[in-house]
Amino acid sequence: MINDERLVHVFWLSGMSCDGCSVSMLGASNPSVEQLVLQTIPRLPRIVMHHPMLDDDSGHDFMTAYGQAVDGTLGAPYIVVLEGSVPDDQSIQQGAYHSALGTNADWPQGLRATGAPDRPVRVSDWIWAMAPGAAAFMAIGTCATWGGIPAANGNITGSMGLMDYLGASYRSARGMPVINVPGCAPVGDNFTETLSEVLLFLEGHRALPAFDGLGRPEWMFDQTVHRHCPKAGYYEEGVFSHEPGDDQCLVEIGCWGPVVQCNIVERGAINHIGGCMVAGGACIGCTMPGFPDKYSPFYKAPPGSAISGGISRVTGGGIRRLRRLSMRKGLHTGIADTAHKVPSGWGLAHNGDKNPIDKANGFFYNKLQYRGSVNHAKRNKQQPLPASRDILKQMGVDLEASVPVLGERVKTREEL
Amino acid sequence: MHVEHQQGVGQQRRMDVDPVSRVTGGLALRTAVDLERGAVLEAKLLATLHRGYEVILEGRDPRDAIFVSSRACGVCGGAHAITSALACEMTFGVAPPPLGISARNWLSAVENLIDLPAHLFLRAGPDFSEPIVRHTNPELWARALKTAAPGIATHGFRLVSDIMTAMTAFSGSLYREALVMTRVAREAYVPAGGKYPHPQTIVPGGLSATIDPTVMNLTLLRVTKFFDYSRRVAAVWDDLVDFLHEADPSFREVGAGPKNFLDYGQWDDPHAYDGTFENAPAWGERRWSTPGVIVDGHLRTTNLHHIDSRVEEFVDHSFYEDWTTGGGNGFPTDPGGNEISARHPWNKRTLPQPGSPDLNGRYSWSTAARWDGLGMETGAGARMWITALAARQPHSRLVQSTGHSLRMALPQAALPAGVAEWLVPDTWNALERNRARAYSLVHSTLVAYENVVNGLDLLRQGGASAGVFTPYEIPRDNRVGVGFWGGARGATSHYMEIDDRVIRNYQILGPSTFTASPADGAGNAGPCETAALATPLLSTEQPERCIDLLRAIRSFDPCMACASH
Repeated sequence: MINDERLVHVFWLSGMSCDGCSVSMLGASNPSVEQLVLQTIPRLPRIVMHHPMLDDDSGHDFMTAYGQAVDGTLGAPYIVVLEGSVPDDQSIQQGAYHSALGTNADWPQGLRATGAPDRPVRVSDWIWAMAPGAAAFMAIGTCATWGGIPAANGNITGSMGLMDYLGASYRSARGMPVINVPGCAPVGDNFTETLSEVLLFLEGHRALPAFDGLGRPEWMFDQTVHRHCPKAGYYEEGVFSHEPGDDQCLVEIGCWGPVVQCNIVERGAINHIGGCMVAGGACIGCTMPGFPDKYSPFYKAPPGSAISGGISRVTGGGIRRLRRLSMRKGLHTGIADTAHKVPSGWGLAHNGDKNPIDKANGFFYNKLQYRGSVNHAKRNKQQPLPASRDILKQMGVDLEASVPVLGERVKTREEL
Repeated sequence: MHVEHQQGVGQQRRMDVDPVSRVTGGLALRTAVDLERGAVLEAKLLATLHRGYEVILEGRDPRDAIFVSSRACGVCGGAHAITSALACEMTFGVAPPPLGISARNWLSAVENLIDLPAHLFLRAGPDFSEPIVRHTNPELWARALKTAAPGIATHGFRLVSDIMTAMTAFSGSLYREALVMTRVAREAYVPAGGKYPHPQTIVPGGLSATIDPTVMNLTLLRVTKFFDYSRRVAAVWDDLVDFLHEADPSFREVGAGPKNFLDYGQWDDPHAYDGTFENAPAWGERRWSTPGVIVDGHLRTTNLHHIDSRVEEFVDHSFYEDWTTGGGNGFPTDPGGNEISARHPWNKRTLPQPGSPDLNGRYSWSTAARWDGLGMETGAGARMWITALAARQPHSRLVQSTGHSLRMALPQAALPAGVAEWLVPDTWNALERNRARAYSLVHSTLVAYENVVNGLDLLRQGGASAGVFTPYEIPRDNRVGVGFWGGARGATSHYMEIDDRVIRNYQILGPSTFTASPADGAGNAGPCETAALATPLLSTEQPERCIDLLRAIRSFDPCMACASH
């Protein structure tokens, strides 16, 4: 335990940000921000959240704790969370800024302020001042982690990610480099889960969570988003969407999923619902350091897809046909096989062993399936058909005569 | 709140509120107040953030516009994505099929179901919560403890003080319920939107989403949870607003402002929208919320051409160079032949010039957007007010625009079916802004519901109506396009000019570029600044907190990420 009161301050800093990461965090439920603040999770310390979008206080009342953190008079450890990239505004004209928070009157007493008391303080100043004393420094979202859109080609603010700004040698007061939870905007749970893991580590309850070579939670970002994509099976079978709105693999309309590390399709955008490709949207690489420039123009097929997509069309075509054959077998129950009839009024016909190709396929398929085991399908052949099968006919029920028809009758496939 | 530069006379002080918390984006306030008289003598709003989105978009492929520009704002990224898609469609000459339009409508309405409760209870709400009211106005708290809440049958709170307790940050039940309901609304957004904020499915020509009955069902079942919730929210704010107005009539002056409103309308008629500038007045008036401008309480126009052609942006007090000296883009008219000024977004160039704030000179990263030289309010109030006066709402079966109110018929859920009616108020102030926002939650719920139901009909019809995407080619010639849309905070427009398949100019106008703007070229303060100046400071304790000033500012729901991109 790092402090007796089990209290940790969390300071939120917004650099070149759209506040979308804050909005994501508020949407998280594993854990939720209210669970963290109200300390309803066993072993987690009480969080005092200093967040400009949420705080009761404004102005100096709100900023005082920021200065105290740097001055070392806070009386409890603190974590800093940066949302938004860091502008290169240290060297522009005195007193000018691209992103500011508080005034010189709020600046730590132990550090020298330049200019009048009402001069805005650059967020980039708070970052370097708060970094050394922070128990952990977390970057949330693709702007804070890698630079994101404010750092895109053509920007005039010189924006960069937190690691660029602090340098590779940065270590927090507890010895950790910058922790990165990317995404534009990130899955809210990815952030709150990482924050709670970090808190549990700081409290001495857990080992240091596994972070990868870029400081990302490894268990969230070690796989490509394609591997868990619900449309990945289409890719495997070489079936692709031709235009937005189609249901198949989205690679050819601009999806970068096969080469992007992200977990949104298995985690969902929120509570296992949604996620880019789950909904039918192409991945534009928004969790990656190269976002946006290395994935644009958006909704244009990635160059690599010409080769890999072509290969998958060839191999996938064969695989898809073989799978269809096997699937047909599974569409029939044992009774349907014995009766050579599917008990469906919707039109599915039983084509079982009438077709010689199916017959041959069935023979070898069974051989393989039961090799080293027992072919229990043989027992089905001895099983008589159930006596009460087709009960309505046996009872002589005349559906046309006895059932009142509500509205228009659904037409059979043949009638249509 | 920091008090400094105490001046000689009485209780006159300079106050810096930096940052103003519980708004979105970077916002600081520089004021002079007279605490003895309870008056605000000076108020300047500083947008303290600038990222250069418009410059980043210059010289890029037009297909980048949607996913780059939507990231200007993480609170209403969906609104920006759709606005940008509309601008692309006008530029490319394409429009989505009916289901694509319906789906965008419900996504946009559902986004409001996330954003409106977030403002009402996470951002504005705590200003009226027990801890704050007890400390700043103990006499009001004592009165609230003895005042029955008339809406008990709808919202379940016995006393007004119970409502205030429930609004307490994090521990209050209304605060926590709002967090939960914004998550329910997010769950309704993502089946077709992919993710939130910053949806992944909005593309030129429609949607990149697979709309099937499961998607519709996931959405519909969550939207219907707002039938009861939105009514409870309206009832809570009705009781709170009426209580404060009655307890101290001076609350009518808090955040008071002129009745000047602008909105582009939202939610297109799937069978009317064709993506052309030429027909904008026709499809604009078919929208679920009517485009329009109100000046001094009178509806001046509902014609999108007339609304847009008189929009101007000023940078006299903003950290940008004046582009008009360099000639601008030289469009004398809009594509419809209506005269526009050199300060119209079509003609604007973004020329950032960082500086240190000077309250008499340049002090904000936001430009000052004006209509016909007037400061305009955007947002839920503008949307409701214009729609109520215009008496259109052609398709709605549940919302009736009467010319002086919006009558909203709520289907039965756990509460019996009923009607919520928002009446155009006599006075316009901070509390009425919040009340309008609460009723606009009811409105957005019904718009979302009607569009999901419409979508189900289109899906059932099948064929071309059930498509969500129309293919397009990016033209090679010099073209312009504009998107007129809105979010929870109202009017949002994106202007795009392309040449040889490259973006030549891209301009974003957010709702807060109107409301949270600095003074304009004529020296007229922005709407938020004007409301701050009109605000009496009514606290009987802790006057230096200037809670009424903050209530006034927050009632606009300023979004500085929209205002200054």
